[in-house]
Amino acid sequence: MTIQTKYEKPIPLKNEDNRPYWDAADRHELEVQKCNDCKSYLHPPGPACPKCGSAAVEWENLGSDIKATLSSYVISYRPFLPGFQNDLPTIIAQAALDDKPDVRILCNLLECKPEDVKIGMPVQMTWQDITEERALPQWKPTD
Amino acid sequence: MDKISNKYAVVGVGEYERSRKSGTTPLQMALVAARNALQDAGLEASDIDGIMNYSTGGDSCTSHEVATYLGARPKYVKDISGGGSSTEMLIGDAIGMIDAGLLNTVLIYRSMNGASGQLVGRGYDPNMLQNALPGGSFIIPYGSASPSQWFGIFATRHMHQTGLTKEHLGQVCIDFYEHAQRNPKAHLNGKTLTMEEYLNTPDISSPFNIHDCCLELDEANAIIVTSADRAKDCKSRPVYIMGITPRETHPHAHYWSDLDQVAADHVAPALYQSAGVKPEDIQVAAIYDCFSWVVLRQLEAYGLAPRGEVGDFVAAGNLKMGGKLPTNTAGGMLAEGYTHGMNNVLEIVRQLRHEYKGSDRQVEDCEIGICTGWSGPDLAGAMILGN
Ligand SMILES: [Zn+2]
Repeated sequence: MTIQTKYEKPIPLKNEDNRPYWDAADRHELEVQKCNDCKSYLHPPGPACPKCGSAAVEWENLGSDIKATLSSYVISYRPFLPGFQNDLPTIIAQAALDDKPDVRILCNLLECKPEDVKIGMPVQMTWQDITEERALPQWKPTD
Repeated sequence: MDKISNKYAVVGVGEYERSRKSGTTPLQMALVAARNALQDAGLEASDIDGIMNYSTGGDSCTSHEVATYLGARPKYVKDISGGGSSTEMLIGDAIGMIDAGLLNTVLIYRSMNGASGQLVGRGYDPNMLQNALPGGSFIIPYGSASPSQWFGIFATRHMHQTGLTKEHLGQVCIDFYEHAQRNPKAHLNGKTLTMEEYLNTPDISSPFNIHDCCLELDEANAIIVTSADRAKDCKSRPVYIMGITPRETHPHAHYWSDLDQVAADHVAPALYQSAGVKPEDIQVAAIYDCFSWVVLRQLEAYGLAPRGEVGDFVAAGNLKMGGKLPTNTAGGMLAEGYTHGMNNVLEIVRQLRHEYKGSDRQVEDCEIGICTGWSGPDLAGAMILGN
């Protein structure tokens, strides 16, 4: 994947709740949060477990081979944010991890025509290098 | 039934003319809407001792300003940041304060230059949005910043699960546009919609095209709430609050983590219990309609159509005047106007007063109506009203 010199879209902002997720993304890996009390996997991450309220949350590295199943999508024909005007229509798709279906992640669906998107289709995670330091998790149809 | 049931009433409603360019301020519009509501109720400004309002990103004027220029001297003012379901929430707050003996009669308004002034969801700095929205960093970098996109993701899944079709969404739009033709104050009065036109309109955010999205207009609405005892002295026919669930939340702040449930699912049981009625008792409905699909999802959530069969329910013409559940009879936010739900409350009040008796706008002999608020899948509120 080529490194773009000028990236006009918003870049994920790291904060105390999400830093491990985005740090892992920059290394082309997926890390998700897990609750040590009720054993749920959590996404998006947060300061505590949304299922049981426990603050005993930790991060688990799931590596780089992430397979998932598309749970829903929207095809956006208008840009609502800067940088998206050049690649319309944009597919925004949520997929559930095959190994941990509680974890549903929203990304763009790349390398797919709008007419080919289907709920239930298999996808895999790919990482788009958006600056020299940063990478953005994305979905693409499974090879 | 709840201890507040039928003890409080809406006694006045009023609005400011809807347009794309008001040429005036939210304060001026709020004052006109408030004076109209006072006149409707037969009350003086000095009778108002509480004023409440909601705004989005400072697009309105304060309750204190409205009090000043109305010539009222309220004990209590409250301005909240809100949108859908805030009307129900503030009515609930007003009832609570009246019930506690702190206030007697409360004016609630929503005023905005939604077309010519500050627009909802446009022109914001993306980094500000990432920080302001729950889980913002997980949606904004993907170009997802518009409610049409967020609700589109919910709608696509719901349609996949239940067999709802684009034609079903279109039927909602067509029915509400048709209702607007009976309402001279509806912004889209004079503009009809056929299924062919609807299906030929390109999508903005699938499955939504421009007809599926509410109107953004300049307008103001006002409501006056008081006790049933005081309502007897008002000029208007009181419309009683039979039951209310002012606001409920989705279990997760990042509501898009679970597309299968919405806050409205959690409102219905408490609502019907508080009102002492069942869904089949409802004769007229005002269902929050920022997008066509949210009507369908709420009809299921409130038990007004069977889950999985709401498409058939709508296709059978049940939302039309003369149907089983005439819905958004003034045109709703898709065709009348949009003040984050308050205009829909005005219409239910007028229907239950039989204010249109003798015209093709009146839902004949209706006595019980529902009004729902939806602030996305995350927050919802609703009330059941009776005459
Ligand atoms: Zn837990």
